[in-house]
Amino acid sequence: MSRNGGGEPLVEIEGVSKRYGSIVALDGVSATVRERAVGLLGANGAGKSTLMRVMLGLLPADTGTVKVLGIDASKPAWEVRRLLGYMPEHSCLPLGMTARDLVVHMGELRGLPRRVAVLRASEVLFQVGLEEERSRLIRTFSVGMKQRTNLAQAIVHSPGLVILDEPTNGLDPAGREEMLQLVRRLSSELGIAVVMSSHVLEDVARTCDSVIVLREGKVAATRAIDHSAAAVRGDMRVRIVGDPDGFARAARDHGLTVQLDGEGEDGWLVVRGGDADGVLTGVRDAAVAAGVGLRELRPAGPTLEESLIGAIG
Amino acid sequence: MSSDARVTDVAYSRYDGPRAGRFAAIWSLARWSSLRALGARRGWKAKLIPITLILLGFAPGIVVLGLRALFGPSVFKGGLADALPYSDYAGIISIVILIFSVVVTPELVCPDRRDRTLSLYFSTAISRGDYVAGKVLAALMPILLVTLAPPLILYAGNMLFAVHPLAYLERHWLDIFRIIGAGLLIGIYYALVGLAVSSLTARRAFAVGGYLAFLAIPTVIGGVLAHALDERYLRLLAFAAVPLQAARGLYPGYSDEGHISAGVWAATSVELMVVALAVLAIRYGRDTG
Repeated sequence: MSRNGGGEPLVEIEGVSKRYGSIVALDGVSATVRERAVGLLGANGAGKSTLMRVMLGLLPADTGTVKVLGIDASKPAWEVRRLLGYMPEHSCLPLGMTARDLVVHMGELRGLPRRVAVLRASEVLFQVGLEEERSRLIRTFSVGMKQRTNLAQAIVHSPGLVILDEPTNGLDPAGREEMLQLVRRLSSELGIAVVMSSHVLEDVARTCDSVIVLREGKVAATRAIDHSAAAVRGDMRVRIVGDPDGFARAARDHGLTVQLDGEGEDGWLVVRGGDADGVLTGVRDAAVAAGVGLRELRPAGPTLEESLIGAIG
Repeated sequence: MSSDARVTDVAYSRYDGPRAGRFAAIWSLARWSSLRALGARRGWKAKLIPITLILLGFAPGIVVLGLRALFGPSVFKGGLADALPYSDYAGIISIVILIFSVVVTPELVCPDRRDRTLSLYFSTAISRGDYVAGKVLAALMPILLVTLAPPLILYAGNMLFAVHPLAYLERHWLDIFRIIGAGLLIGIYYALVGLAVSSLTARRAFAVGGYLAFLAIPTVIGGVLAHALDERYLRLLAFAAVPLQAARGLYPGYSDEGHISAGVWAATSVELMVVALAVLAIRYGRDTG
């Protein structure tokens, strides 16, 4: 993936394979990560966590090479790991420590001087919304608070790249929403590049600039994710029950443009005219004004999900 | 309000300053772990037992020195040094050392395995070997509070109460190295063996029970068999006593009722420490997810 072009790649993966006995976890994976936020998408067992652990130098690849921030991940692993942040998938926090102590400790383990680690622990706990709970034992935290503590420990040392393994796992809708916003902020506001794994496309689409789809240990697809204004423009395809010409006139009265695509009741009307909310409101009002019924309403272009559905499997 | 008061924006900032290396990370792991094992930043119940045991470790020396301070040199007929020989100190508080190591070492490793914190540690600058080194250091530092610090305090007291302190230091300077050597030998032994046994389980209670069983059961069996079969080397199965006997051998005039030389006790100590290291290498040498 090289959508942004230029600059040193954050991660270069070349022909990486990894087997666990007879099980092939990674099979000749190659990818180059240049974007500030990249999602690793795939079903459970697709090889996402294994690839992340190889990137961290926690697992040696059977074949192939991985360079992270320009450093060979296999040797010396500790050299690259102190420049990386890692948020494991499963709960792995020491329950008997306070959030502040843990974050300070992890900062020191990643090379921060103690005084700096103490200062930065306050900063990152504030950033993840745990400044009030920093002195509480982690065992008293909710799942969402534990995940935010997990994220805080991953970024306390100002890493160039943070690797997030299923950060929304086990979170309720509100916690998931907060976590996705935090993850997006890492790359967009805090200047930390992100590699995030997930099996939920929406999570990746909302937080990342590109996606690498893994399937059965192989790269099945790579796509850029367009967050530009054009991408969020709300062009719609509409099928109606009733007079299409009447609907088109009413829609034009609401500032929309309508283009016919196909004939008869099975034909589609492509409606354009601003953002998604504006188009949807206009379509609703035009349908009421023209006295037609709406049979089907969908985005005009292929969605990211549609373009990846075959690759995800 | 102080004129130095400032309004600070708690914003996330980049850090481009110097980063410490592996040894700083190992030291950080050791320091945090040992402080927590001693109950720091935990409730008073977690502090009670370690602090009580440390005080009990100092008690013989403090009592002897206190009596000397209260009643003068005549209170000990053979002199202050003979009242509590350095070579006997560890033996006198052996039960304290044993219980202290049983309390401290499981606390250092069992919670990490129980809470699955190992994968978090190994994602930082420390390797598996660094982790083991940090934990051994973390176990050693508090254990030295009962194996090394008390006889050193006794030595300092003996020197201060001597008629000529400098002359005492001149005559007994070798004892400092014997005390340090004995304290380190006993400390490293209990640290390694305690950590090795504790690394076998994530449950602290099982680790405590297993450690006590490891020290006590061979000791009893060895003692019974040695007596029944009249085979003195079976006494080497007294795993709890092995480092204490080896340490006593550092002092002149060593004698063992079983006629086992200090060298044999020392060799047995080293063998058990090597086995403990091997166990740790196996337990932490493979991927633990």
